[in-house]
Amino acid sequence: MAEAPAAHVIEIARVYPAPREAVWAAWTDPAQIAGWWGKRGWRTPPESVEIDLRPGGVFRLDSVSEADGTVMRHDGVFRAVEPPGRLAFGTAGSEATVTFADVGVGRTEMVFRVELTTTDAIRRRAENGLGSAFDRLGEQLRTGEQA
Amino acid sequence: MATDQLSTTFAALADPTRRAILARLSHGEATVNELAEPFPMTVQAVSKHLKVLERAGLIARGRTAQLRPSRLQGDPLGEAAGWLDEYRAFWEDGFDKLREHLARG
Repeated sequence: MAEAPAAHVIEIARVYPAPREAVWAAWTDPAQIAGWWGKRGWRTPPESVEIDLRPGGVFRLDSVSEADGTVMRHDGVFRAVEPPGRLAFGTAGSEATVTFADVGVGRTEMVFRVELTTTDAIRRRAENGLGSAFDRLGEQLRTGEQA
Repeated sequence: MATDQLSTTFAALADPTRRAILARLSHGEATVNELAEPFPMTVQAVSKHLKVLERAGLIARGRTAQLRPSRLQGDPLGEAAGWLDEYRAFWEDGFDKLREHLARG
């Protein structure tokens, strides 16, 4: 049965074989965040990264498409900065919280939760060249319709 | 799809009763009375939800005067889910790259 999708909250959890101080630093050190941020096929120029790491501080960075050079700019404002356990930030149309929990020696569980307050954030990403894969659920539903 | 239509679709999907109605319709078309059965609400209230879903292009309703059975329209729902898939993929990709970044560190 095709469940109708929840429209507004996305949660993603990961366990990393690294202490949470290291995961925290990967999120908050400008030199490090350029090493992993964004979709595959997109890179972040280290010089584009600006991070003012305090509640109310802004951050800004670019993703550049390796395929065609399209630039996608990300910017937002930190809501909470509580090293090494919790980071919260808002962007146009979304509010995100990421927590880092110690789950054994040198292991960290990261839980990322984002609430989409409008469709602006995703629309902008799509318009900026991320492309789309719109058909999957539509296909499922059409199949269900015929059954 | 025009962006206004997309916003309308997301607003329609934000309500759990309307999502449950869509899930029910994924099994096949149904009348308003059939749709109202599992919900602790009046047929009139369900009818209101159907109007929102219809305006959002998520369902179509038959022309038979009395029954007007509702059925799913796949395209707007698929498109809305597609936006969300893209959004999630953005973060999932990043978090996989974060794992590789941490391994290098």
